Amino acid sequence: MVRYIARRLLLLPLVVLGVTFLLFFLTQRLSPEMRASLYVKDPRQMGALEEVIRQYGLRDNVFKQYGRWLGQVIHGDLGYSPSANMPVSRALKEYLPATVQLAFVTMLLVVFFGVWFGAFSAVHKDKWQDSLARIISVGGFSLPIFVLGLLLLMIFYGKLGWFAPGGYSFQTDLIIHGSTFKTYTGFLLIDSLLNGNWRVFWDVLSHLVLPAVTLCIGSFALMVRVMRSSMLEELNKDYVRTARAKGLTPRQIIYKHAGKNAIIPVITLASIQFIRLLGGTVIVETIFDYPGIGRFGVLAAQQLDIAGILGFSLMVAVLFVLGNLLSDILYTAVDPRIRLE
Amino acid sequence: MPLLQVENLQVTFTVDKKPVPVVRDLSYTLPAGKVLAVVGESGSGKTIHALSLLGLLPPGASVRRGDAVFQRKHLLALNENQLRTVRGQQIAMIFQDPAASLNPVLTVGEQLVETLRAHRSLSKKEAWKEAITLLEKVGIAQAEKRVHEYPFQFSGGMCQRVMIAMALALSPDILIADEPTTALDVTIQAQIIRLIKELQQHSQMSVIFITHNLALASQVADTVLVLYGGLCMESAPADELFLRPLHPYTQGLLESLASVQTRPERLPAIAGQPPVAGEILLGCPFAPRCAYATDKCRQELPPLTKNGAHEVRCWREVVK
Ligand SMILES: Nc1ncnc2c1ncn2[C@@H]1O[C@H](COP(=O)(O)OP(=O)(O)O)[C@@H](O)[C@H]1O
Ligand SMILES: [Mg+2]
Repeated sequence: MVRYIARRLLLLPLVVLGVTFLLFFLTQRLSPEMRASLYVKDPRQMGALEEVIRQYGLRDNVFKQYGRWLGQVIHGDLGYSPSANMPVSRALKEYLPATVQLAFVTMLLVVFFGVWFGAFSAVHKDKWQDSLARIISVGGFSLPIFVLGLLLLMIFYGKLGWFAPGGYSFQTDLIIHGSTFKTYTGFLLIDSLLNGNWRVFWDVLSHLVLPAVTLCIGSFALMVRVMRSSMLEELNKDYVRTARAKGLTPRQIIYKHAGKNAIIPVITLASIQFIRLLGGTVIVETIFDYPGIGRFGVLAAQQLDIAGILGFSLMVAVLFVLGNLLSDILYTAVDPRIRLE
Repeated sequence: MPLLQVENLQVTFTVDKKPVPVVRDLSYTLPAGKVLAVVGESGSGKTIHALSLLGLLPPGASVRRGDAVFQRKHLLALNENQLRTVRGQQIAMIFQDPAASLNPVLTVGEQLVETLRAHRSLSKKEAWKEAITLLEKVGIAQAEKRVHEYPFQFSGGMCQRVMIAMALALSPDILIADEPTTALDVTIQAQIIRLIKELQQHSQMSVIFITHNLALASQVADTVLVLYGGLCMESAPADELFLRPLHPYTQGLLESLASVQTRPERLPAIAGQPPVAGEILLGCPFAPRCAYATDKCRQELPPLTKNGAHEVRCWREVVK
């Protein structure tokens, strides 16, 4: 196990190097002038382009430039992001927790309802409950995320005004950047509670609900299917017959015996989906203007903010590798056969 | 009054909307403290018959007719809740594949404890203590340690011991052992059989011992019942059946046993195949493989004729 983790961690730099170099190489397709112009705010100063190019060595060979970027990254300097108007590292620190928070809440919803629905559907196989669950999950599966997102936005924001889209409210921004609000974890949902500030908590939560529900749908459908088939498989196994022959109640048989086995593949799926969500919230964050890392990535891409793009992809690559590792560890934690091997 | 009395049990599967009988007109009695062996080739309906007694039939199968009286309870007429008090507590069952019959993600102890607590009001602590005692009773060394281990950390034979411990947890009146040693090595087989026999004698419970091995059956059982195509072909006290088999099928089984011992390189069996469920409609199901079969055998099912404790289903015995 330890060796396995070590091997995975060794893979980390390779993946990060590969991804960032590829992107770096692509950005070289832009002329040095274009890349330099990003840092020149005032059109009247276009004459200074040449100076920027020289200062940052934008005409150097790609390996040299990449090496320089890497050297800075190692020292914690990811460059300045014109699109976010702050250093990339600060932008990541600010936006990443919001995305992790969103992905986490989404996964909680998906796992909770998915497992419940899937198990329910399996237990009532071929009855109307099963059909209903199947219709819902197929429906969710075939509904594109942007359609659902816009629909929810229209209904709950436009018509009902229940939830707010866009960045946090002005007051919240003031409070969280103010001197009295202490940052413990970076996750506003947790920090606001730790600060005892319900107002911020509710504001953050109300911005989270619609994107989370939207993100849920696709994963939810998949989760229901996996849980259902996994549950059906387990219910047919010999140990379930033993459990019945011992005189256990249906509840014990379904939840404790079959459920505990059926959930193993679900956990793997959930952690893979969680990782994918971290890099895949782009559409939803854009629709709801949610202040997460996906929105940061889109803005950076739109404005050809190279430092921002590289920082974003670096982050996502690291998250992917670590997330996969986490999912493996989680998997072994629930399955004694793997844990004790 | 016997402990268990099964009468005219008929179990059918519904295949393509048609009922296919897999247990036909099965009757027997099981006295308290005795061992009944149910012997038959694979597919003869041994498992299905046992599952029907506990209301554990798989989907598609149902009891069409018959009665099974156990301590004044009509087992086949009980509802789920009533059956739950019988299962495990009064009639326990162990299965053919012990490793697959235990839940892989629960420790052996957890599975024992939940069985105990399903029927008796024990505290967790008491139940765990009891679980350790049970493991010791079935001959598992270092029980305090092993009670916390998972089934995959046990060998097949050890898993069967755990299953036996679980079955004995509530001192049932009847233990149904469905081919408990088929999946195990020969040496382990003997140990498990000895264990079951010991425990049976010690606690005076009754056992329905299901096997395809007639030699094994005659070793452990007081009475042997030979099942073929879902029908009882012959049933008699074990030594009587061994010495004076009346049915050609039983005779064939015994002959093949004898020749396995003398010429182990050739594994003889009775020529032909056992019937496929659903095909047997007319006549004696054994007729296609029987050396003595006549037209009558092929057209009319022989009745079960009784001679003292010896019952046989064969036209040759009816005529006599
Ligand atoms: N799920 C099923 N669907 C249809 N027929 C079945 C099913 N399970 C068992 N049977 C039939 O029931 C008969 C008896 O099966 P079983 O009791 O398991 O035999 P045994 O235990 O003697 O080997 C077999 O001939 C088989 O064809
Ligand atoms: Mg069987």
